[in-house]
Amino acid sequence: MVSIKDRYAIVGVGESERSKNSGTTPLHMALDAARAALNDAGLEAKDIDGFMSYSEHDSCSSHQLATYLGVRPKYVKDIMGGGSSTEMLIADAVGLIETGQVNTVLIYRSMNGRSGVRMGGGGWDVNMLQNAFEGGSFIIPYGAGSPSQWFGLFATRHMHETGLTQEHLGHVCTSFYEHAQRNPKAYFYGKPLTMEEYKKTPYLSFPFNKHDFCMESDEANAIIVTSAERAKNGKSKPVYIMGISARQCVSHAHYWNNLDEVAADYVAPEVYKMAGVGPEDIHVASIYDCYSWVVLRQLEAYGFAPRGEVGNFVAEGNLRMGGKLPSNTAGGMLSEGYTHGMNNVLEIVRQVRHEYKGTDRQVENCEIGICTGWAGPDIAGAMILRN
Amino acid sequence: MDNQKPIPVKTQDNSPYWDGADRHELILQKCNSCQEYSHPPGPSCAKCGGTELSWESQGSEISGKVYSYIISYRPFLPGFQDDLPLIIAIVEIDKLPNVRLIGNVLQCSTDDIRIGLPVKMIWKELTEERSLPQWIQV
Ligand SMILES: [Zn+2]
Repeated sequence: MVSIKDRYAIVGVGESERSKNSGTTPLHMALDAARAALNDAGLEAKDIDGFMSYSEHDSCSSHQLATYLGVRPKYVKDIMGGGSSTEMLIADAVGLIETGQVNTVLIYRSMNGRSGVRMGGGGWDVNMLQNAFEGGSFIIPYGAGSPSQWFGLFATRHMHETGLTQEHLGHVCTSFYEHAQRNPKAYFYGKPLTMEEYKKTPYLSFPFNKHDFCMESDEANAIIVTSAERAKNGKSKPVYIMGISARQCVSHAHYWNNLDEVAADYVAPEVYKMAGVGPEDIHVASIYDCYSWVVLRQLEAYGFAPRGEVGNFVAEGNLRMGGKLPSNTAGGMLSEGYTHGMNNVLEIVRQVRHEYKGTDRQVENCEIGICTGWAGPDIAGAMILRN
Repeated sequence: MDNQKPIPVKTQDNSPYWDGADRHELILQKCNSCQEYSHPPGPSCAKCGGTELSWESQGSEISGKVYSYIISYRPFLPGFQDDLPLIIAIVEIDKLPNVRLIGNVLQCSTDDIRIGLPVKMIWKELTEERSLPQWIQV
């Protein structure tokens, strides 16, 4: 097998407006995000010969997006998916380019995640859910319809075994909210969170309070991937893909007998091996943060702190600017916005190409970054990028 | 009885489990190839892919321990607004430690719930015909 290390690059990223009620369709937002990414890359729509997206039946199709950009690409593909689908589709794009089928691919996620279909639940038909989820009739009759409850079962056990406390969850939240204060486009810009306030907030679903939940929003994001060769002659500053990997591990997506393993545990060694670096070489991170605890579990999986020491790692301020691993520096899904992980990937691209240079948002001397995706304990994907 | 709550949907793959629950009995699917219990039940074994499956009754005296839990203070699904705070737990079955079942721990205060809490299975009537396995503290 040939190594794809450093041979592919992200050359453009863009987003639509972010809101709680877009008043428009996912197609309109996807067009805005795609045009922004094309503009960022210095490309025209006709330069894109592959379009891909992921959704939970809440988006527009790649075919529609290409149609209204006025182009007729060779390849369109829409998958069902959430967290880690960004990384998986980028890997698919690399494969298609490697085999000469296309040259440049635009990947997007567009969703009225707040005003339309909310991942966090609410308004669902309970019989539909029992059929939609594998094993759904074994959770829905018990009132377990929200990922906060599903992942919470993992969190309570993990906290019990490793000594993580609610305050440690709070450090994830306060660190990311602090980053949002430097990002005028973040949902919680101007709304900082103190540990005192975090701890006073009542539980919504123990062990989580509302700050531990991601900030559902209406928005679209887009990413353009091409070969390093094409990227070299392009107008934007490429960010090179050093490693990319994905994995499914446990048997059911919505029912768990085993809380000891998550897919990220298996992705981590693969992605580091491909990239030829280790956790100590990473300068900046975007850790999938649908819930605060998910970040802690991934810090353990990706080797940023050993099991049992993750709590101290975050309490020491290591996720903040100036820490050992500034993470989710735009505020993350906890406080910036939520596109099933893609907004976190946009941020890591911007950090690694030093787009914030000269401002307090830039992580100093950051050359290598990681972004991780978490669809759940069952599926993960990660990507390591370099300047 | 509570007609608002979701009633487990019986399917081709799970009906022996729910038929058993309606009789206040725990019936688990077992794989004849790898000898593991397969829960939730499916069209084949989720551990090895084996297609030779059987159903095994565990009777009606089921005890276990809370392996993990959450406490919801908001109903995330319709029908649970009068059950708050709602404890959702994964329970490890004493005689089958590899089998863990998700359910609610009923009549348990949020101060008492903890990992390791001994519980036993009871059945709550949802309708005249349908029952749902649940847990209470012992
Ligand atoms: Zn088997």
